[in-house]
Parts: sequence; structure tokens; C-alpha cells
Amino acid sequence: MIARFLLGVFLAAVMLVVGVSSYLYLDARQSKVAVAPVKPTAAQPTPRAFHLPGTLYLSQSGALYSFSAGRFHQLTIEDGWMQPSLTPDGNLLVVHRQGFYSDVFELNPFGRPMRQLTNNVAPRRSYDTGDNHWSFYPRITSDGKTVFMSYDKPKTGYEVDMSIWSMPLTGSIARGQVWSDEAADPGYTGGDIQPVPVPGGIVYTRYDRNPDGSIIGQLWFTNRPGSFGKALTSPGEDCREPSLSPAGNYLAMICTHGKQISYLVIAPYSPGNLGPRQAVITDQMVAQPTWAPDGSGIAYLAPAIPDDPFQLFFLPSQAYFPPAPSPIPTPSVIPGGPKGTAVPSPSPSSAPAPPPVKPIQMTTSLGFDATSPIAWAP
Amino acid sequence: MLVALAVGLAAVSGSLSYFIPAAVIAYQASGQNVVVPTPSPTALLFTPTPTPPAPAQTGAFTVLLLGSDDDSKFQGDHVLTQSMILVRVIPQTKQVIMLSIPRDLWVPLSTGGSYKIDGAYSYGGAGAAIATVEQNFGVHVNYYIWVGLLGLIRVIDAIGGIDVVTSNPVLDDYYPLDINSSSLYGYQRIAVLGGPQHLDGVHALQYVRSRHNDLQSDFGRSRRQQQVLLAIRQKAKQLSPEDIPALAAAIGGEVKTNISLDQVGAMLPLAASFDNPDAIQQIVLASPYTHGGAPNGSLYGNWGLILPLVHKYYP
Repeated sequence: MIARFLLGVFLAAVMLVVGVSSYLYLDARQSKVAVAPVKPTAAQPTPRAFHLPGTLYLSQSGALYSFSAGRFHQLTIEDGWMQPSLTPDGNLLVVHRQGFYSDVFELNPFGRPMRQLTNNVAPRRSYDTGDNHWSFYPRITSDGKTVFMSYDKPKTGYEVDMSIWSMPLTGSIARGQVWSDEAADPGYTGGDIQPVPVPGGIVYTRYDRNPDGSIIGQLWFTNRPGSFGKALTSPGEDCREPSLSPAGNYLAMICTHGKQISYLVIAPYSPGNLGPRQAVITDQMVAQPTWAPDGSGIAYLAPAIPDDPFQLFFLPSQAYFPPAPSPIPTPSVIPGGPKGTAVPSPSPSSAPAPPPVKPIQMTTSLGFDATSPIAWAP
Repeated sequence: MLVALAVGLAAVSGSLSYFIPAAVIAYQASGQNVVVPTPSPTALLFTPTPTPPAPAQTGAFTVLLLGSDDDSKFQGDHVLTQSMILVRVIPQTKQVIMLSIPRDLWVPLSTGGSYKIDGAYSYGGAGAAIATVEQNFGVHVNYYIWVGLLGLIRVIDAIGGIDVVTSNPVLDDYYPLDINSSSLYGYQRIAVLGGPQHLDGVHALQYVRSRHNDLQSDFGRSRRQQQVLLAIRQKAKQLSPEDIPALAAAIGGEVKTNISLDQVGAMLPLAASFDNPDAIQQIVLASPYTHGGAPNGSLYGNWGLILPLVHKYYP
């Protein structure tokens, strides 16, 4: 009787354990697609990780992070901080985005606010959401005096398109100038985005409408306020997110050809002109290419697995500027062959092709804001 | 022997308890009975072509995707279908055709009278929406799937977000503030920036729902809806059967369909086999297929152009 009772208890215990275990086993076999990205500062640096030179500044979940010597440091709390760029004296211009508006701030390299450049919140008495404004993608000229940005003013009715504006670093937007005025070209396209100061003017992304109604991005160059300037890329290329090389002679950009793909493309650049394109990454959804200050490569954001959040990658320059091949030895004649004839040297074997240089994945499990450019300080 | 039986029973019980909640939710969402109403005499007067008989079982099928505002501004099932996409799936050639029907298209409704096509569901549920599409476009609809706003957010969040190349910045000063809000008729500002990015459910909805940033009514929105649908399909390839309970819990009550559970099971491997993006045809009925001037700011269809186009892809 006792034995049967014990057997029953034993079986019940076994069933309980097996039942719960099978439930937990199935639960553990869920794919990890919905796992939230970890904070960069929580990611463990790999002891022998490839280190990038200088300091990179990136945005994730509304916080700014610096990345140097293989480690991340959090500069701000998660509160809408994004789109960092560098000032000549080593500070950062960043966007602070709130629910209905965004403003440009200057922060020191440790994330402490130094100055608020814009004040885009609607007046306190306004009940019209349209009285707020957006400022995005601030960049400063190399002399440190003029700030360029995308700004949604003027607006017409429901149309909210960004225009490129400039303003003095120490002044206000009231002293600003419109460079590309989207209000003069109604289109409901989103307008003009991401100005990049270059010698003699700016390169920016202009969104325009194709004859079939679809909207495409194009890189444009302009050298004076009030002018859209000149197109650098064709509508069919559908390019955006320009980045100028440290020497100022190459542009990196993202081109999507109107599809759900994105190629990292580089091209020789001279003021107002873009040379032949070279697609250097074609198998990832690439965003925000940024040249290393020492010219050693290009950092960019892309998902490690298709449809995952964006990670930091680095493409060494050898991938797109391969070293010149070593000179092929000229066949020479070695004296001393039979009967005084010359002995031909072995035919020179063709130099082995160098292995292809692939991008280096710098992070895993993070989720950088791919609409936020990377700033890279020497 | 007894121990083995107990272990087996326990394993089955554990597995069932894992999947049963999902099965219950899926059963409630799927297999919805649809009554396709008989066309009213008024509707028949305006029907461009008679509805063809259901095509022979070639394996190809047509699904009507319906997306609605379903917040508490609306009572019960009387919602407008802001998004109507007719999807033709041809397994043999691994082709998919997606035709976005403008929500403002002025048509005779299957329930009688003429109105914007987005009102068909409001007047007669899924059956009326299907019948209206069948009568006006001369196609046969095999299945429908209805998704509410929260459903789209939850689906995208449940699969961990999607990667999309947003074609342009979508800026809207008067975007409805009706999700998780007590101010159902209020507005908010949104700015979904352009370019490749990872979108969560809320931002994906903002991207596909905003219409105030569109020069051409909701055609741009239709294009964006198709982009997001394809991104969801792409991400769904990473899912495993063990993800079904979490997904089902996320979308519970926000999805309705007349596709039965066994049909869903048969379609899943099919969805994963469509790998070639070039085999996906996306159609938007912009000008010259439609033009303005219809009542209440709606659109007239140029049926002489629409019907040949539709019948080319939807036999």
C-alpha cells in the first residue's frame, strides 16, 4: 500500500517536472527577434576587439554615446538626443527631440549642454500643433562660425517640408538664411535634409517627386542662399546621407535605386562635381557612412542579420582603395646554360590575388538610430 | 512502462498548455464567417463587369487586406477601412501582386448607394467590403484579413520591429492622437525621417498612416503601406513555431480573417518560399487610373484603364 502511494507520488512529481520542463523548453526555443537591444555601455568589450582610431559619437534610444578604445560611454540620458556632429573645437552639435519639436544644442565632449541654438517649441498660448518646428541634422562649417541645419520653416497649410537653413553659431535662427527654400517648390516630399558643409558650399539631400508620383532622394550642391544649386546624382540612383572624406576629394553616400535596398557608394568629388560611382557594400541595408578622420576606412550602421536593429560596422580603406599590385618581375636571362646558352628564368607566376577585404562588425545586440549620423573625432 | 506513459502524458500536457492559449486566440480570429451580400439593384446598375465565377483550383488565390482605425471613436465593427490592398498569390511562379485600392474611390457599394469604398466595411462588415471590391473590380476574393491600428503596432513589436528604407521624410503637423490617448480628436506632430532604419510598431504606423504629407491624396501612403507589408513578410521568415503564442497574445482581437487555421498552416511555408523581391508587383491606382472631382473630395475611377490592368493580374 505504501509502495503504491510512493509510486503515485513519484509519478506525480515526474509528471509535474516533465510538464513544466516541456513548457519551459518550448518557451526557450522562441526566436530572439523580439529581444530588445542592450545598452551600449552594458555590452562587454571583446578583449582582442579591433579598435577604431579616435572617438565615435552615436545615438541609441535617445541617448548619446561615445565609443573609443573599444568601450562605450553614455553622455546623455535617454531623452531624444540624436544626430551628433563635431565643432572645430571638439564640442558637439546635437538635436534634442521632444514630442512635438526639436532643438539644436551645443554640448561639450562629455555631454554637458553649453548652449541652446534654437527654440522651436510653440508659444505657450498656442493650441495649434503646427506652431512647433523641427530642426534636424546640424553641421558647422570648418571655420566654426556658421551652422547649417534642416528646418521646417516656412510651412504652408498641411505641407511640412524641410528647407536648408544657415545661422551663426553665436546668433539665433532669426538671423538665419534659407538656402534651399522648399516652400518655393511645393511637393509634400519631406524637403531638403542633412546638409554637409564642403569647400565652397554645401552638399545636401533633396527629396523630389518622380513623374510616376514616387519620391526619390538626390544629392545636390549649392554655394549660395536661395538656390537649390546643382544635382550631383540622378533621380534613378535615389541617393542620400552624404559624407565627405577627410581630404575632401571623395563623397560616400547611400543609394537605394527606389527599392528596399541600400548600397554604400563612394565617388570622387570636386566642388560641384561627382565622379564615377563605386558601390562598395551591396549586401546590407547600410546607413550613415562616415569617413575615419585618418582615412583608414568608413564606419557605417547596418543590421548584422536582415531586419534586425542596426549595428556599427567598419570598412577598411583597402576594400575600396586596394593597394597597387606589386610590379610583375620582368623575365631575365640567367647566364650559364648548357653550351653557353642562357637559361630562361622561370616564368613569373602571377601574383596571388589579395583576399577580399570585408567589413568588420564592431558591435552586436545594440540598436543604433540609423537616422542619426555618426560623428568621428580624431 | 507506467513511468514512460506518465512522462509522455506530461510532455504532451506541457506542450498543449504552451500552445492552447494561442490556438484559442487564433480560432477566434480565423475562420470568420463572411456573408457576401447579394448585390442590390442600385449597385448592379453601376457594376462595370459582372463578378466572374471563382477560378479553378490552380493554387493561386486572392486576399483582400483591410486596415482600419478601430479606436473608440468608432462603435463596434462600424469602422472605415483606411487601407485596402488586393493581394494575388501565385505559388507556381512564386509571384505576388499587390494592388492598393484608394480609400477615397467613389463606387457603388454592395449594400446599396454610392460612397467612398472605405465605407463598405462600415456598412456591412467584411462581406460588404469583399462584395464591393468583387463587383467593381470584377475579381474573385478568396480570403480577407482585417487588422486594426493597434494590431499593426502589436504585430510589428512582437516580431521585434522591421527594417525599412523610408522613401522620404514623413512630416505631419496634424497626425491623429487616437492611440492610447484620452484625446481621440486631438492631433500630434510626427517626423519619420528618411532612409534605411529600424522601425518599431508605433513609428511604422506613423509612416504608413500619415496622409497630410501627401500631394496626391493617399497614393504615397499606399506605397508606404506596401513597403511595410513586405518588410513584415521578410521579418516573419525569422519566426519559429514557438513564437506563435507570443504573437497570438499580441494581436488578440486586432485581427480577423476567414482563413481557417489549417489553411494558415498550409500558407506559412508558402510565404517563406517567396524570396525574389522582383517577383513582387506593386500597383497603386494613381493618375490616370483615378482623378478627383467626385463627391466629398473623393476620386472617380477611370474604369476603362483600371479593369484591363486588374484583369491582367487578377483573372
